[in-house]
Amino acid sequence: MSAARTSVGQRLHRVALRQSYAFALLLLVVAVAINYYLQPNFFQPGILSGNLLLFVPLMLVAVGQTAVVIGGGIDLSLGAIVSMANVIFVSLMGQETSPSRILLALAAGFLAGILAGALNGFCVAMLRFQPIVTTFATSFIFAGLALYVLPEPGGAMPPGLVNFFYTNPLGLPMVLWVVVVLLLLWSLLRSTRYGSYLYATGGQDLSAFVSGVPVSSVRFLSYCIAGLMAAAGALALALSTGTGNPIGGTDFMLQSIVAVVLGGTRLSGGQGGVVGSIIGVVILSLIQSIVSFSGAPSSWQTLINGLIVVAALAGPGLVALLGRRRRA
Amino acid sequence: MAEVSLSAQHLVKRYGGVVALADGSLDVGSGEVVALMGANGSGKSTLGKIITGAVVPDGGRLLLDGEEVRFSSPQAARRAGISAVYQELSLVPDMTVAENIWLANEPVALGRVRRKERKERTTRLLSLFEDALGPSVGPDSLVSDLSPSDRQIVEILKALSREPRVMILDEATASLGARQVERLFELVGEWKAQSMALIFISHRMEEIFQIADRATVLRSGRTVGAADLMETSEEELVGFMIEGGVADRHIEHPADADGEKTVLLEAEYLRSSVLNGVSLQLREGEILGLGGLQGQGQSDLLLALFGAVPHSGTVRLAGEETHFSRPRKAMKKGLAFVPGDRGGEGLLSIRSILENLLLPSWSRYGAFLNMSRARNDAEEVSQDLRLKMGSLDHPVSSLSGGNAQKVVLGKWLMRDPKVLLLDDPTKGVDVGAKGEFYKILSDLRQRGVAIVLHSSDDEELLSLCDRVLVMRDGVVRRELSGADLNKSALVSASVGAASSSPDSPPSDGAP
Repeated sequence: MSAARTSVGQRLHRVALRQSYAFALLLLVVAVAINYYLQPNFFQPGILSGNLLLFVPLMLVAVGQTAVVIGGGIDLSLGAIVSMANVIFVSLMGQETSPSRILLALAAGFLAGILAGALNGFCVAMLRFQPIVTTFATSFIFAGLALYVLPEPGGAMPPGLVNFFYTNPLGLPMVLWVVVVLLLLWSLLRSTRYGSYLYATGGQDLSAFVSGVPVSSVRFLSYCIAGLMAAAGALALALSTGTGNPIGGTDFMLQSIVAVVLGGTRLSGGQGGVVGSIIGVVILSLIQSIVSFSGAPSSWQTLINGLIVVAALAGPGLVALLGRRRRA
Repeated sequence: MAEVSLSAQHLVKRYGGVVALADGSLDVGSGEVVALMGANGSGKSTLGKIITGAVVPDGGRLLLDGEEVRFSSPQAARRAGISAVYQELSLVPDMTVAENIWLANEPVALGRVRRKERKERTTRLLSLFEDALGPSVGPDSLVSDLSPSDRQIVEILKALSREPRVMILDEATASLGARQVERLFELVGEWKAQSMALIFISHRMEEIFQIADRATVLRSGRTVGAADLMETSEEELVGFMIEGGVADRHIEHPADADGEKTVLLEAEYLRSSVLNGVSLQLREGEILGLGGLQGQGQSDLLLALFGAVPHSGTVRLAGEETHFSRPRKAMKKGLAFVPGDRGGEGLLSIRSILENLLLPSWSRYGAFLNMSRARNDAEEVSQDLRLKMGSLDHPVSSLSGGNAQKVVLGKWLMRDPKVLLLDDPTKGVDVGAKGEFYKILSDLRQRGVAIVLHSSDDEELLSLCDRVLVMRDGVVRRELSGADLNKSALVSASVGAASSSPDSPPSDGAP
């Protein structure tokens, strides 16, 4: 009866399944080693946290993507939602410093993100459209709205907020605070009934349904969460650049999926978590600096990202396969 | 626990033109186990599903504690205190035992799941089966790591966790080991004492006599009787399950069986994950039936013969030893397999009838396909089959079930097979199309094609086959031919009634 009697192979297999970011950790170690070799002073706290700060927006978006993917879906419109919310934040806030104006802009941006997610969720969960096609299509709606709100890159965020983003509250780097808050929020979500429903829905929706899980609502809500997180990412993007860009979120679409896959979350749903996705984002940032330090043309970034994703897709599968062999 | 009574009265369920349940009635009360019995296709699953809310009836009434209820979903039935242990498992493989048992029923405080409490409650539930479970099964075990029998136990505990007043065990013992069944029956005794009402759906006579108090027997979708098991013998129960009582209706067989014809296909000690050493001989121009309860290895036997599942043992085709590791090899030697699941395995439903018919045969029409010859051949076959269709270019999805099944058969007939393996081909096909289908089979038989037919329809086996092998738990329990080939022998061999124990013990040993 006791778990102590579990065989080593079974335990490895379970680690591979549950802590599906085992492979991501391995990649992280490799990426850190290469970085250290190329640029020993890269790991001075100041430089490192400065570099990682640029990846906070992606981190937030990737967390949203993770929720959708675990629920058995995928969201290709998150990049466009980032663009849309980004220009809403910037154009409503401007250089204003009155708190009410800032609150209004924040509310509008987050509301736009949630509504965009709700549209996706409605189409996918209630109308049962294909997630890939649906969210690809809606991404054009959001991208169009972004260009309508702000046709050209420009505008500025209140300097006070921008400066705050670059501070180290209580002596700890901002990026660490973001990670801690994200992990806390995720463990809170995971411990609710909804968290359990989300994994069940993505794992086997029919079994979940006959067990009484409201599968459609669960899916719908996962897209709303992703929309909300995309808006948070848009805010971080506006703070880190200090300005607005109607196509600023374009890269987030693929990169958020890359981070999720790197983090070991299974694309068919039901497995994985936010820890892995955050590690995935860190790996992406390290790869970027490897490419730039190694003197390779920056166009290699895309090529290398592609190779890494293929490896990441194969990696967890290989680990699981090894575990299974051992059991047999 | 409070007293409970459940009464199903004259329930009716139709699927299109097919009546699955014509008049289903059943009564069960607190502290009672009622066995629901019937031959294959008698409607017992449908009746069970109506009670658990998985199927909405077209007529009749369901009374719970004397009040009429109508369940629109399994959840609704569960809220009313009716839980079912499903045969098709309702577990999510990548979640733990604890998460699965309490899914959608988690103990919650302030919006958060109380994991510790969930784990404790799970441990308590698991301890009910303490020494009957695998050694490493605990609340945090992943369901995907469990053996099929342990999963079934988790399924039972999941039903139990909802604290039901009425529990339905639908073939719940089918995948359990002997020790687990024994423990389950002890628990059933305890639950009875706590005034639970249980409905036990099983094919196994000995189990029914062991735990049930009464039996309700269904035949052709009608409740034909309720019996007190203290005063009823196995023979009497089998008699209830068969139309016209114990006396058999004699069915004319297609032609005289003859030992003269040559043996075309021979298998010895076939073993696979499901099969436990099956031997058979198939002659030219013979229809060999595979009978027994559903899922006793019949489909696996066909798949093994066709090379579609890994297997060991000897297969001889026309005296020559062969091993088909892949369907392609079997096809080259003149074998053809018609699967039961038309949609999934047999047909590409959105493609045209022409394409579907020609799919296994394209290699015969050259590297650059000779379309006119291919079309002519397809026309010919579709006429042989009396296929009712608009045109060969229409998609298969435009056809009725019976005609679609003819296309599945037709695509193999285009290859002129010598051995035809049929896996429950007429499931869900209407009566008229069935008749035509039988006619085609009998034509093929005349032409010397050897046919193995697995069917869940006992009448079909009796009226079409020269011989029938009755399978149970992956072995052939009994071979029926000549005068032995009658309904009562088939049913009693299927359910394993004591009177029909096999002449020789099943060959479990390796060759």
